[in-house]
Amino acid sequence: MWHITKRELYNNLNSLRFALTTVLLLALMVTNAVRHTREHSKRVQQYHNAVTESMNRLTAIADDSLYELARQGPGTFYKKPSPLHFCADGGETSLPDRVGSSYDRRRFWRLAYPDANINMMNLGPDVSHIDWTFIIGYILSLIALIFTFDAISGECEHGTLRLTLANAIPRHTVLIGKFLGALISTTIPFMLAMLVNLLILSTSSAVHLNAQAWGRLCIILFIAFLYTCLFLALGLLVSARVQRSAVSLVILLLTWVTFVVFMPSTLASLASGFSSSMARYEYFDRYGQSYHKFRRTWRYAWYQSNDEKMLRTRGEWHTKMAVNEERLNGEYLTFKITQVQRARAITRISPAAFLQHLLEAFAGTGLDRHQQFIENVQRYAREYREFIVDMERGDPESLHIMGVREGMSQKPVSPEAVPKFEDTRNIGKDFNTAAMELLLLTLFVVVLLAGAYLAFVRVEI
Amino acid sequence: MFLTLIRRELLDNLMTFRFAAAVVIMLLLVVANTVVLIKDYEGRLADYNTAVKTHRQELLERKTYSDGMGKITLDRPPNPLSIFNTGLDKRSGNEINVSHAFTPTIWDAKKHEAENSFFNIFTSIDIVLIFQGILSLLALIFAYNAIAGEYEHGTLRLVLSHPVRRGSILFAKYIGAIVCLFVPLLMSLLLMLILLTTSATISLNTDDFLRIGGIVFTSLIYLSLFYLIGMLISAITRRTSTALILSIFVWGFLVLVYPNLILTAVDTAPQTDTKPATYHQVKQMWEEFERKRKQFLRNDAVPGEDWKLSFYTRFNDQPSRLLYYHYPGGDLETIDEKSEPQVPHAQNYHHYLGMLTVNIAERRWLIRKPVFETIYVQPANKARILLKFSPAGLYDAATEAWTGTDLNGTQDFFRAAQRYRQAVVNYLHDEKIFASRQWFSADQGSVDWNTLPQFSFHRSDIAINAKRAVPDLFLLFMMNILLFIAIFLVFVKSEV
Repeated sequence: MWHITKRELYNNLNSLRFALTTVLLLALMVTNAVRHTREHSKRVQQYHNAVTESMNRLTAIADDSLYELARQGPGTFYKKPSPLHFCADGGETSLPDRVGSSYDRRRFWRLAYPDANINMMNLGPDVSHIDWTFIIGYILSLIALIFTFDAISGECEHGTLRLTLANAIPRHTVLIGKFLGALISTTIPFMLAMLVNLLILSTSSAVHLNAQAWGRLCIILFIAFLYTCLFLALGLLVSARVQRSAVSLVILLLTWVTFVVFMPSTLASLASGFSSSMARYEYFDRYGQSYHKFRRTWRYAWYQSNDEKMLRTRGEWHTKMAVNEERLNGEYLTFKITQVQRARAITRISPAAFLQHLLEAFAGTGLDRHQQFIENVQRYAREYREFIVDMERGDPESLHIMGVREGMSQKPVSPEAVPKFEDTRNIGKDFNTAAMELLLLTLFVVVLLAGAYLAFVRVEI
Repeated sequence: MFLTLIRRELLDNLMTFRFAAAVVIMLLLVVANTVVLIKDYEGRLADYNTAVKTHRQELLERKTYSDGMGKITLDRPPNPLSIFNTGLDKRSGNEINVSHAFTPTIWDAKKHEAENSFFNIFTSIDIVLIFQGILSLLALIFAYNAIAGEYEHGTLRLVLSHPVRRGSILFAKYIGAIVCLFVPLLMSLLLMLILLTTSATISLNTDDFLRIGGIVFTSLIYLSLFYLIGMLISAITRRTSTALILSIFVWGFLVLVYPNLILTAVDTAPQTDTKPATYHQVKQMWEEFERKRKQFLRNDAVPGEDWKLSFYTRFNDQPSRLLYYHYPGGDLETIDEKSEPQVPHAQNYHHYLGMLTVNIAERRWLIRKPVFETIYVQPANKARILLKFSPAGLYDAATEAWTGTDLNGTQDFFRAAQRYRQAVVNYLHDEKIFASRQWFSADQGSVDWNTLPQFSFHRSDIAINAKRAVPDLFLLFMMNILLFIAIFLVFVKSEV
């Protein structure tokens, strides 16, 4: 078997395709790294500025009074940029980078989820930037097919397969030898390009990869490896079934173009085209209705003087109004995200979409990450409200009526005591969300390999 | 003999498995995407219609001219040909306010969107993209063994033993392949048109059909370019397996890698967050406005700014877009007896300020325009030019020009909006509306908005589309000729 692997390897290493692959992958990986070093520092800087501004605002409010802290809320939350952004872009430009908490003169703060600020000002052509998802998903898979399309049919044509099988070697050994040979010869240029990429990243001062990031990179590498295996197995399968290598390549190419290039977007647009788009109006209707209901129920709250009963009613109005609106905002967001998740589930027919989801999960970008961010914010919002209630209880002078100035503590709060928002990510959780897809990918590889074996066993020479 | 050669090529290409498979896949993709794209267009058209209605309603509710000035909203209709090439049609803003206080541009446009914005994480596909990806691949698949295959099988020697010139062999092969490539193109177009006619909301006029013809013609030139690339590789390498692998690498590089690679390497995104350096010039203009306003009030017969009539100020300050204006207005329902003597003064005041606002808006446009050109238009054009080094980029640009979804085509709407604004301003001048009572008060009846000039927008006519598409078409065509000459030279010199 090792002889066969070695022979395959030597054959491949000296070929034109190997040289072209190496050059192409190197060019892509270097571009990716250079862009990331340039962009990442900008992104981090922007994030830090925004967070500092938000903190300063919170400190200023805390110095004012607890009432203001309860009314104006914790401000805007920003999504922390991932250092592994170069692995998966994840459509970050079309996802919002923040969750706001809005308030006005009349109403208390509540979480609001603004839409992404799509760059309407950018009039340039619409292209996707090169990340690892692109390199692995499109290029590496194509390369895997190019390395395997003639593995069996080519030898059939030249008659060398008959020669090989004339020796006392079982067929599965030949197949595994060929598989390993192709795997190693695709991995070498990829590894080389990846090392150059990581070398550039680790020497630049803008990007700091900690131990967890390296761990994530290892997992991403493993996924890339599995994904390559998938396409190698597919190549071997078709190559064993088809007698002529040119036909085999044509079939493989068409399959690849359909499943990898066109399938994800076509399925996603099918799903999005047929999902209901009336949600927005519905949402505004419900929003308006609930507001008017509130107005009707609590109208008398505004008439009377500041006796305690009235204050309580008014406080109740403010508190309930905020809770109600936040709930509506949350429901609308959940509705939208569910719609998109459904579309994403449909795209999973394509292995490229699989890879994208997996890489996004481990790079900490994309929709799943956005959901995690929103959960973090919502958890923090609860904490913040509890904190206000606790502080309020601690002030003996106040009337403990939440929601009105006259009923709440007017004392300043020490800014250090206010809980801080932290946008944490958990590798274990990421792994859990991705486990299913990882398993499916492995299963696909096994099925295709078995198929290749069956096809090869039946080949007549 | 020539015809025999063509016939042979045709049969050779059409009767193959690769042809059947490619056609089936392409038709499936085209049908699936057309259905989605039509639905998407219908949705956008419905949004447009509701937006037009709501905006009209909002305007009619305004009682005074000054109140309605910020509420004249123009909506950009979706382009039915965006099904072929979406371009900027979906991405750029589709509603714009018209006011005497600023010149409307594409950057001031907003977007009415009813769709779930999270769907933007998926890349969208249009028909041209399918042609660009799959038909070019098919062209290369036809081409890779055009010469190398015959050489390997020895049939080339056989053919050349007849008294045919080498040039005519090449030409016959070329014609045969182009006819074969034309078949799936035509079939998918036919299916698309059938689907388009089933939709009640899409109506295409003669010009649109001519534009589609332009797209088909561009596609053919693009495909022939890829066929010639494949043929050149085939003629040089003389081995089918090498030719095939090399062709696929070339295809992958030109169609898939290059557009993304070059725009990743060269950053062309405009810096939208920063305040342009000329912002202070704009600010100064408005400080001057404020000075003049105060001066006017000082020299006025009425002392001070002590209006009994209540006015409000419309205010807008967007540094990144160099947009800064404020002008006073009012929507008084009644004017009581006591304030009546002030009305002529107020009319005078508003007349003066209205003229001043228009004047400053025009002067500011002189500053804004070049700034926008350098910040937004130049990077976008630079990105487009960089993409044009690949035939795929040229093809995309040419088809965008045909459909009118390119930058120029999208700007057409905003140019129309600017002309409309000028018409509105002229109307305000001619009817002396700034000096009229209805500018700020509705006590003698509200404004009849129907007397205002009406806005209408038609897409540019086919001649302009053609003019915009021709440079890219010409480049594609020249590449074709150069490649053909190269193949001819290689083939003539090769030994059989």
